[in-house]
Amino acid sequence: MNDVGPSAFLALAAVLFSLGLYGAVARKSAVMVLMSLELMAVSVGLNMVALSRFVTPAEMTGQLFAIFTMVVSAAEIALGLALVLAIYRQTRTVELSSIDTLKG
Amino acid sequence: MTVDWVALIPALPAIAFALLAPLPRALRNRLRWLGLAAVGGSFVLSVMAFAAVWPGGVKGAVAHDASWAIALVGGVDLSLGLRLDAVAAAMLLMVTIVGACVQVYSLHYMRAEERVGWYFAVLTLFTAAMLVLVLARDFLTLYMAWEVMGLCSYLLIGFWHEKAGPRRASQKAFLTTRVGDVGFAIALAIIYATTGSFEFDVVLGSAADWAPGVATAVALLLLFGAMGKSAQVPLHVWLPDAMAGPTPASALIHAATMVAAGVYLVIRALPIFEASGVALTVTMLVGALTALLGGLVAAVQHDLKRVLAYSTISQLGFMFLAIGAGGAVAGMFHLVTHAFFKSLLFLGAGVVIHATHAQDMREMGGVAKSLPATSVLFGVGALALAGVFPFSGFWSKDEILYATWKHGHHLVFFIALFAALVTAFYVARLWCRVFAGPGGSKRLVEGHPVMLVPMGLLAAITAVVGVAAPAFSEFLGYTGHWPDPAIALTSSFVALGGLALGWLTYGRRDPVLNVRALVTRAPRLYSIVEQRFYFDAVYDRLLVRPYIRATEELSRFDRVWVDGAVNGVAALWRAVSERAWEFDVRVIDRLVNESARVSRASGSTLRRLQTGRVQTYQRYVLGALVALMVWIMVKGA
Repeated sequence: MNDVGPSAFLALAAVLFSLGLYGAVARKSAVMVLMSLELMAVSVGLNMVALSRFVTPAEMTGQLFAIFTMVVSAAEIALGLALVLAIYRQTRTVELSSIDTLKG
Repeated sequence: MTVDWVALIPALPAIAFALLAPLPRALRNRLRWLGLAAVGGSFVLSVMAFAAVWPGGVKGAVAHDASWAIALVGGVDLSLGLRLDAVAAAMLLMVTIVGACVQVYSLHYMRAEERVGWYFAVLTLFTAAMLVLVLARDFLTLYMAWEVMGLCSYLLIGFWHEKAGPRRASQKAFLTTRVGDVGFAIALAIIYATTGSFEFDVVLGSAADWAPGVATAVALLLLFGAMGKSAQVPLHVWLPDAMAGPTPASALIHAATMVAAGVYLVIRALPIFEASGVALTVTMLVGALTALLGGLVAAVQHDLKRVLAYSTISQLGFMFLAIGAGGAVAGMFHLVTHAFFKSLLFLGAGVVIHATHAQDMREMGGVAKSLPATSVLFGVGALALAGVFPFSGFWSKDEILYATWKHGHHLVFFIALFAALVTAFYVARLWCRVFAGPGGSKRLVEGHPVMLVPMGLLAAITAVVGVAAPAFSEFLGYTGHWPDPAIALTSSFVALGGLALGWLTYGRRDPVLNVRALVTRAPRLYSIVEQRFYFDAVYDRLLVRPYIRATEELSRFDRVWVDGAVNGVAALWRAVSERAWEFDVRVIDRLVNESARVSRASGSTLRRLQTGRVQTYQRYVLGALVALMVWIMVKGA
């Protein structure tokens, strides 16, 4: 177990974040974008847990923050899905490319 | 309020004019008899005036005297004054008779004219002015009337002002007489400066005491004014041109009355001339020259009215000659007789011109056959002009010759005699060309009775008035006399000789005296006379054309420099404002427009960033994040 250093965790978190970022930027469906956002939040939580474990093993700050993050993510996803549902009711679509009422 | 009856003499026609002038044309035309009525009333009053003066005989006696203050200018009391004496009474009768005759004649002659009412109004105003002039008791009143007559003359000569000829003639007459008037006006100024008054009594009474130069200067300046009005050489050029006016107007103005005003002025101012002495001689010489030149030119003119015009000039010369030679009463008498017979001749000429529709004597001839009455009446006037016994011209001319001889001016006497010969010659020429001779086959319309009756009256006066010569002298306070037998015979011989000469030249089919031969023998001499001694040409060359050129130069100066300056300033301001406009458009507007354009362009560019798609924004954030990281990494390194 000791062979696995923090960099492996950080790399995994970076990969997860990048996948999430790609998904948030590139996916068409609002639901998929929400899921991608979740992926990024998860990678952040992973970073916090990993860094807490390796940098300050005596304290639980990182783990606590990760739990916070999960709570916030759950609330966020609930809100996000509610928004997507509301948008769907309005426009009969969840395709982000066709939702551009903010266009200048 | 009592009305001064002497003042009514000129006031009646003046009122008639004042009534007629403002009326609309049609009404004025219908009321044209008003002028005649007024002049008729003046005639009746003139007879009363004559009776009031009768039997006269006292030099300088004044029968009636009145003046009205009209203005007080700078302490100078200006007043109009009328004075009735023997000279004035005689003139009044002459003016009103001729004036009334001409008005009656004009009733028919001018009946077809569109502006006949205006013609009669001016004719009446003219008569009023002449009556004021005759009755004036001071130089100022006389000068005023003098100028009104100048105006009326201008209006009547230019009566047909729609034609260029009368228009130019009226301007010429006005300007030429104005030249003389300037002399008159200066004389008035000197008179006032010397005596402090314009009244005849004061001025003439003190004339003998003036410094010798002053009297001469005043007399010569007055003479200059008189020369303009009475058409004396060298200011005579307007009178022949004045024939462009209606013929009856010529009869009244350019034969009988207005041209007599100059002579009358000299007679009125005679004490000044006598005080000078030199001025009298100048008057005589001017008169002699005018009598001679006028007569010679009259002898070669072809236009009927122009012959009469030059004849008038010549006869006025006789009057000046007589006054200058010391025979003022002779000049005065000739003034009266000439007024009657010359207006008669003009009225006769009017009938002939009406009948033949020509004015050139070469187109006439034999008129006597179809116009017997006119011919007889014209003949009376012609014989009087020629100076044939017993017609009035004989008597007055005889008096002039007598006065000239008696006062020892023998050279002038012979000049006058020669002028009388020429007069008789051109009278014969006129008669032979117009009334006698061939060409009488055409049926001509004899003058209307309305025209013939006034002519008959004038002819009757012309025929008999001469006998009154001695009585006339005594009436004016001079010693009357019957003609001196020697001079009467001489002048009769000259008159008949002139007539015979004219008949020999023009009256026979095979002329004894061939004019053509005469002309070819002395072409230079003939052309000098034929060109009216070049007076018009010289004036044209020396005065008129330089004047016109000067005015053209002035007008060019006006156009080039004055207008140029104004236009230049305008152009400058225009240029300045154009620059300002350009600055406004190019800089200020551009600044505003450019800033607006930049805003719009930047807006439309930037709006492309705002797609409204959340993911686009995310891409920007991603890009920015990457850039930030790169920057940190580079900086960190």
